[in-house]
Amino acid sequence: MDQPSLAGRFLDELRAIVGARHVVSHPEDLLVYEYDGSIDRRAPLAVILPASTQEVSRVLALAYREGVPVSGRGAGTGLSGGAIAAPGGIQIGFARMNRILEVDTVNRTATVEPGVVNLDLDMHAHKFGLRYAPDPSSQRACTLGGNIAENAGGPHCLAYGATTNHVLGLEVVLEDGAVVSLGSLARETPGYDLRGVFVGSEGTFGVTTRIVVRLLPLPETVKTFLGIFPDLDSACTAVSAIIGYGIIPAALEMIDALSIRAVQNVMDAGYPPDAGAVLLVELEGLREEVEDTSREVEAALWEGGAAQVQVAEAAEHRAKLWLGRKNAFGAFGSIAPNYFLVDGVVPRTKLTQVLRQVSEISQRYAMPIANVFHAGDGNLHPIMLFDERVPGALEKALAAGGEILRICVEAGGTLTGEHGVGLEKKEYMPLVYTPEDLAAMKLARDAFAPANRLNPGKIFPDGQDHPPSPHRAAPGLYA
Amino acid sequence: MTLSQHLSSLLEAGIQVLPPERLPAYAIDGQTPQAVAQPATRQEVAQVLQWASAEGLAVCPWGGGTQMGVGNLPRQVDLVLDLARLDRLLDFQPADLTVTVEAGMTLAVLQSALAQGGKFLPVEAPLADQATIGGILATGATGPLRLAYGLPRDWLIGIGVVSAQGVASKAGGKVVKNVTGYDLNKLYTGSLGTLGVIVEATFKLSPRPADFAALVTGFPSAVRAVLAGQQLAGQVFAPQGLQVVTGPVVRRLGLEQAGGNVRKSPLAPLYERRVGGISRIAPEPRTGEALAIAFFQGRGLAVRRRLEESRRLLQSQGGSEAAVLDAGVGQELLGRLTGLGWAAETAPRLGLKVSVPPSAVGQVAALLSEDAASGADTGIIADPGFGTVRLLQWGEIPPNPPFAKGGSGGFDGSPEKIARLRDQVRKLNGWVVVEQCPLGLKQQVDVWDVEPQALEVMRRLKQKFDPLGTLNPGRFAGRL
Repeated sequence: MDQPSLAGRFLDELRAIVGARHVVSHPEDLLVYEYDGSIDRRAPLAVILPASTQEVSRVLALAYREGVPVSGRGAGTGLSGGAIAAPGGIQIGFARMNRILEVDTVNRTATVEPGVVNLDLDMHAHKFGLRYAPDPSSQRACTLGGNIAENAGGPHCLAYGATTNHVLGLEVVLEDGAVVSLGSLARETPGYDLRGVFVGSEGTFGVTTRIVVRLLPLPETVKTFLGIFPDLDSACTAVSAIIGYGIIPAALEMIDALSIRAVQNVMDAGYPPDAGAVLLVELEGLREEVEDTSREVEAALWEGGAAQVQVAEAAEHRAKLWLGRKNAFGAFGSIAPNYFLVDGVVPRTKLTQVLRQVSEISQRYAMPIANVFHAGDGNLHPIMLFDERVPGALEKALAAGGEILRICVEAGGTLTGEHGVGLEKKEYMPLVYTPEDLAAMKLARDAFAPANRLNPGKIFPDGQDHPPSPHRAAPGLYA
Repeated sequence: MTLSQHLSSLLEAGIQVLPPERLPAYAIDGQTPQAVAQPATRQEVAQVLQWASAEGLAVCPWGGGTQMGVGNLPRQVDLVLDLARLDRLLDFQPADLTVTVEAGMTLAVLQSALAQGGKFLPVEAPLADQATIGGILATGATGPLRLAYGLPRDWLIGIGVVSAQGVASKAGGKVVKNVTGYDLNKLYTGSLGTLGVIVEATFKLSPRPADFAALVTGFPSAVRAVLAGQQLAGQVFAPQGLQVVTGPVVRRLGLEQAGGNVRKSPLAPLYERRVGGISRIAPEPRTGEALAIAFFQGRGLAVRRRLEESRRLLQSQGGSEAAVLDAGVGQELLGRLTGLGWAAETAPRLGLKVSVPPSAVGQVAALLSEDAASGADTGIIADPGFGTVRLLQWGEIPPNPPFAKGGSGGFDGSPEKIARLRDQVRKLNGWVVVEQCPLGLKQQVDVWDVEPQALEVMRRLKQKFDPLGTLNPGRFAGRL
């Protein structure tokens, strides 16, 4: 594909499949496709916007024949470089495959195309008294296809599980264009759990073209607590106390002092300026369940050392308590122009210890690190705040992030809870997995994609079968 | 050189091998292995597999032995790998809500250890005091509470396996949320030991529920009960588990020893309330009648509310007056229902598991009920909220089955009848797995039910993970 004429002929064939308007290949038009929410970037050869499974299949078959690698791209909100094209590769975008095909209220399922936005599905389900539970922070933009690839999480995964726990069936296209159904409309499908291993395969097994997800009935009662704490340690103590009461809330989110400052810089989320940490706890379920556990949650917050506890049940009031959490990432722009976010997970009991170590790293690197994270399942989001115009700042942020990941692994945790490995964390994989563990994973990929043409260069550390890493640029605030 | 002579080298390494007289107890579908090894560590499992795969032997992993009849006929059974000695609790962290165990520990032993820490693993299996964690994962075993808690795949967060060639590896970890690398947990779960031998598992846990109760309501037909159950399953106050059972199943639950020993039965409350109208629903529904049994667990007030509202809804949908069972009796009933058909006393001649979207359970129950109505000793256990229907047929088939009118699925065990049922169920977006059947039938049908394109991917997975066909050859879908 090095010769322009060859590339030209290839693009012509792609245009013949999806229509000339749906092949993006002008360098200026490709700019917005060269990055995701993370720090790596590379322009694709072209972006193809198919309208059907058949078109996806034909595009993949053609790329396979030509030896061109293919990456899928949803909204590009990913945080690990998952959607970034391989060298010389094309991207398939799903902007035209964005229909909610069916909501089945008896079976409580929805069938959607991969380009459907997460929140749009959830809001649509609400009309039927149902919901789609996984709620990544980017849910206003991110798509179901991307959620499948990354096994996306979100605050409410604490009680309801991540994307994988909600996917029943998938229609996928393999690297050679073959269309396969994985799973089904039934809750159990005989044979190997192909849709289970496909979810979270970061676009390396196949391209998803149709998705069947489980919907849950909307809860009868929802109650949100906001506990304001003098410091992070006491908020962590409250987290342990809640779990210790035998309560798994629907969500249990933590916001640290630096994040509180960032939020208050841009809006009034109602946080006192001297607060050391804020804990958001959401309870859902039957009236009786929520009432019963409420008392214990409130007790746990006070026992942990809360200076103030606010409670809300009405939707508008609850939304207000969530305001700071939902807008925290955008608010970091008020402190530094760039941020780099890592996604390590630790056992819940190690939160206090690991957060102290994160704070030490922040001091050692002289770089502010904010924490806004899913405390209930031990999923940290330390956020390095920096200015890319300062020479060496990006490298410093990356190094600090690497150290934090090491600490998470040493504490019995892992590299990523919901963002994926992608390009960003692939070199850290040997911290968690032995060569034998990684070899077993590669066997699975080789069964789905023997030629390794789909999203190559992701997940596994660079080696002989890997192209070099792409250009690394500082992230902006497009996450 | 015989296999047992070969095994002497393993004996020198200290690996326990059973004497010949114990081999028949490890027969799989009538094939007795030439040897049974009982490794005590992951290293020993690896050693046995390195040796066995190099020798070209067929190796069959063995947990509690409760579901060894599941699967197609093995092509070959040389060596059984009994994992009973890998039964240690490795790491229980109550405050983190996680536990790591070896594969040979039984579910019952694990649950009692977890209970001491106030925790609970929401995984069920038939015969929990024999079924092992490894076996439950390999078969993907479940129970009635799947409605609320899902499947074992939803609770497994880390796994240790030994490959067919004897290489140990792991996937996942010990944290409750993890997308680091491919989710091979899902691949090994339900793979019947054909991709690797599960030696260790880490689960996330749930706080131990404070309360438990069950509700039993009678319906004039299985279909009526299923439709009512379906409505119930969509409510916010839905029970944690919901089953519809017909007469022949109820008889085998042991509810009917009414004669003299009622009060000794753990289900005595059912009978004590006979005057209050229970006799109309239990213990012995007439032909065609069915019981809906709902299970509730959680905090006291919530359990009570769910129970009361469920009772009201079921009765408004044609259910009889309900019997309420307390925790002890309810849990006994749950255990018996989960194990039904798997213990020797209740083992059917033919056992089918139909998986469909929940809305199709009524149609499947209707298809299958024709057979039950014919007077054949055939029972149904349906899960209207989850979409599972088990058909259990005991004894012989009547000479003129009444499904000649073309509709249905009568099961004289003929491959044609299975194929026809599969066609019908496929139209309902579902699957029919033959879980239990005479060996003669296994020679003629694939007991699994998988689409051809998906099977091709499965074949490639098997080829990659077990290129020599060492592990359970022939037993999986497509006789892989």
